[in-house]
Amino acid sequence: MVHILGINLPDDQLARFALTSIYGVGPHLSHRLCARFQIHDKCRVRDLTPFQTTALSSFLQSPKTALPVTQYPLAPINFIPRPPSKSIQELQAEFNAERAAQKQKRDEKLQKMGKLPVEDVKAKVGGRKAPEKKSRDPLTELRIESELRREIRENIAHQRLIGSYVGRRHAMHLPVRGQRTQTNAKTARKLNSLDRW
Amino acid sequence: MIGQVVAFNQTLNDPIKYFGTPKNMLLEFRLLSQRCSVIRNITILTAEELNSAASGPSHKTRYVLTGPSGCGKSFLLLQAVQYCLAKEWIVIYIPRAKTMVNSTTTHVYDLRTQTYLQPNYAHQTLRRILEVNSANLQTLTMRDGLSYERRSFSSGTTLAQLASAGSKDPAISSVVFETLLTELCRQSKIPVLLAVDDFQSIYNQKTTYRDPHFSAIRPYHLAIPRFILEFASGKRSFPKGAIIGALTAADPAFPVTNELMDELGVPGVHPRSPYSKRSKIFQEYARGLRNLPVPTEFSPREAASVFETWMRDNALTAPANDELFLAKYTESGGNPKAFVWQGILGTLEGAAPVVNESTSWPQLREGRI
Repeated sequence: MVHILGINLPDDQLARFALTSIYGVGPHLSHRLCARFQIHDKCRVRDLTPFQTTALSSFLQSPKTALPVTQYPLAPINFIPRPPSKSIQELQAEFNAERAAQKQKRDEKLQKMGKLPVEDVKAKVGGRKAPEKKSRDPLTELRIESELRREIRENIAHQRLIGSYVGRRHAMHLPVRGQRTQTNAKTARKLNSLDRW
Repeated sequence: MIGQVVAFNQTLNDPIKYFGTPKNMLLEFRLLSQRCSVIRNITILTAEELNSAASGPSHKTRYVLTGPSGCGKSFLLLQAVQYCLAKEWIVIYIPRAKTMVNSTTTHVYDLRTQTYLQPNYAHQTLRRILEVNSANLQTLTMRDGLSYERRSFSSGTTLAQLASAGSKDPAISSVVFETLLTELCRQSKIPVLLAVDDFQSIYNQKTTYRDPHFSAIRPYHLAIPRFILEFASGKRSFPKGAIIGALTAADPAFPVTNELMDELGVPGVHPRSPYSKRSKIFQEYARGLRNLPVPTEFSPREAASVFETWMRDNALTAPANDELFLAKYTESGGNPKAFVWQGILGTLEGAAPVVNESTSWPQLREGRI
């Protein structure tokens, strides 16, 4: 039994399906999460390593503060790997050093061309934050459980505050999206309200 | 000899038991009382090619068995595996190569090889290779030592000991598998056969695996498919041996790609032009592969032997006579799979309904029940 965010994931379920039991995570997000932590499609929850479970839990607890995924190099066609005696720590250190060197080289090149490195540009745009580019990765803006419920509550409260039709319908416990009310509005009458979540 | 049905004996290092077989073949073997296959012209030809390959490097004997669905490619590959084992080769048989690219085994990025290792798959493959080839592997020793993660193997360790260590511990199995292949590429004492079914699955552009950025992982960025691609392209070579692959014609998830079809000279289902998409990387990995076309039909003699084998196993509910044999042979067009599954096993459905002319009800008269 694996516990993530207080939710118990059954051992015999596929990990990709089990993650959808988290509020706010559907099939696509679950697939993305599994890809990020190198969990293959047919992995059962009991086959998850402790490292993967910890990494998943810590990511889901605060997705915004998670470190971005590093782009590791992939072997070109005639690549000859180093001998196995070289330890992973040495290789990682070499890789980090190479990346830092590349970044420095890039910054020097930009400075020579008269363009400043990226961090300085952001500082220069007079106090006002430069508009952030929307990331294509939905995991960077992941909202789950209590945060998502709060967002929905706030959205409904906002609709009521501005006095919109949508807000009024929530307040009256009636369907919001133009459904019929002569018959059949039972779910809306039961569930629609201002303090829904 | 041609047209004779012979059984695969159950030996101690039975490849069918340890390596497994493709699914259709497994089902057929379950139905038959003994696992057997018929010797065809192409079997003799393949055996002759393997005899000449025993003295040459594997990059000179790289064949791909092609043909329409059900013509007997997988069976021929299994016959080649059994033949090489009988000739005391080292045999590495992968009956379902698509299981290494369809995201069913663990994958983990490795910075040293810059590929995604598949430790569980390597562990399982090492165990199978060891079970089938233990006698041969015990006669071969490592030339260089190996030290990895507090485990070390001195030079002079037998390959059987190395494989055994790797088959017990998935943590080191990837490195052990890589070392085993490297050592097999150095020894020229025993020929090695690498036989891969579902060969086209490792030539598809995208596997079902996804990397942390959610892009599809390519087969040459997965450790084990990369080894097979390197052997298939001749970049890695056994000093003595052969590489044989068998395509699976009818798998929509992993179709036969343009690069393979161009290299093998196979027409393919859909027409392709010089403007069709091709990958330079896969063209390089497919370079030098030779087509070994498997005949699309059984000869009447071969079909008769197969028919008699199933007849002796009491698979025919209809009376076994020449008319039935010729009817089934014609209906299937000689295609081996259709002949067995729709032809011979189709008799299990019972006799065809006979039209009753004397009944007064028209629907019954037409033979519809």
